[in-house]
Amino acid sequence: MATIFKVLFLFLLATVAVTSCSKDVPVDEDGLLITERQECYVSNFELVGSDFVTVRPAGTAAAIDTTAQTILVTVLFGTDLKNVYPQFTLANDCKLDPKITGKVDFSDLAPKTYTVISGNRKIKKPYAVTVKYQ
Amino acid sequence: MPLKNKFANYIFALLSLLILVESCKKEEYSIPDPVNQLSNDCIKRTLGPNIVSLPIEFAYAMAVPKSKGKLVSAQVEASIAGAAATYLENNSYSTNSSGQDAAVRVGTPSVNDGNKTKVTFNVDTNAATLRYFYVIPEEARGKTVSFIFSATSSDGATVTYNMGPYNISKMDIVRNLKVTSADSSYISIADMTVYNRNNVAANAGKIDLVYLYQPTPATFTHALVSPAADKQYLPGITLPAGVNRNTKIRKVFNLQDYNLARINVGIYIDDRDFQEINLTDAPNYAIGLRAEAGTWVETADGKYRAYIFLNSVNANGSAVISMLRYPLQ
Repeated sequence: MATIFKVLFLFLLATVAVTSCSKDVPVDEDGLLITERQECYVSNFELVGSDFVTVRPAGTAAAIDTTAQTILVTVLFGTDLKNVYPQFTLANDCKLDPKITGKVDFSDLAPKTYTVISGNRKIKKPYAVTVKYQ
Repeated sequence: MPLKNKFANYIFALLSLLILVESCKKEEYSIPDPVNQLSNDCIKRTLGPNIVSLPIEFAYAMAVPKSKGKLVSAQVEASIAGAAATYLENNSYSTNSSGQDAAVRVGTPSVNDGNKTKVTFNVDTNAATLRYFYVIPEEARGKTVSFIFSATSSDGATVTYNMGPYNISKMDIVRNLKVTSADSSYISIADMTVYNRNNVAANAGKIDLVYLYQPTPATFTHALVSPAADKQYLPGITLPAGVNRNTKIRKVFNLQDYNLARINVGIYIDDRDFQEINLTDAPNYAIGLRAEAGTWVETADGKYRAYIFLNSVNANGSAVISMLRYPLQ
């Protein structure tokens, strides 16, 4: 019986030792995984109104220029630009700064800058978002 | 191995075995004792907020063993007397083979006497489920209402069942107002009604929104616009003198309140929604509205918030709207 307990104890000890040696997963200040990826761009952009329906005219996607780092979106006549919600689709593992936490006021029609940060958190690309009426 | 350790091991093994045996023991089912006296039960069938002028529906079930006699009467006492349309059904319902409610007449039509509504049975029956429709009166607005359901049997027994208290909403509701771009297009939240060109002048100060339809641009279509909105949102409209309120309005989609839309969606707007919504930066126009879209509205004088739902729209420039209104003051 004592032999069994000894074996069990050693096995537990070994498990604890192995677990404690495992490498910590790197995370950033937001608790997001830092990866090896270097891609850093916006792949899609959407703007929705207070009713969460797109404010773009049908068939006109936002013009994203990943070289010039600009986004130009045309919105419908009568869009209430004080209360719109931008939605970014980013390359894998990227994040956005500043974060979008709610509605955004685009009513001054001036470009707003959002910075895309790559998965390895080493590349930062600011995108200028401009809104214009149809 | 020392004798002491060996003994401890045996005890441990024995205990484990006992626990194992005990945990596998099957619990015997015992048939519950049948109820041998008059008994009752009740459920509330309506969901959502309790709005003045709408009914709260209950299903009240009662039964007495055949050996004890038969049902004599059923009664409901509300803490605040219901509106005149309040009634207790004199039919008992069962579900037929098609899954439909099948009614069986069991008593005389109910009689309202103050806070009480009563049905007297006129058939020999031992069990019945009666539905009670309490139409919420104006006096109950913003208060709570409780109910005492009771039944009596021929052996003199009486049972009671308490329901509530239920909060009564401060909201008002009006449904199916027809608005037309050509004529009846002046909406008053304070009056919860629509005025037309002939009677708007006399009510100019109460007009909060104007309904209009513009086929072009294609994104305009059906719109609810505040009289004080920019002229580009009131194209070709000459407002009567005194129609100048600046109402805040926010478009919503997919908010089909059950009481307004009356479709099978379990969404309810409650007093709390009106209390918490912030419309300070909302615009004073809502264009491009579609059927089943809605708008949150706050009047310029800060007296009311409302939710206007578009039940249907017509490309000839008309729509059917329904409205919930909450008083802020």
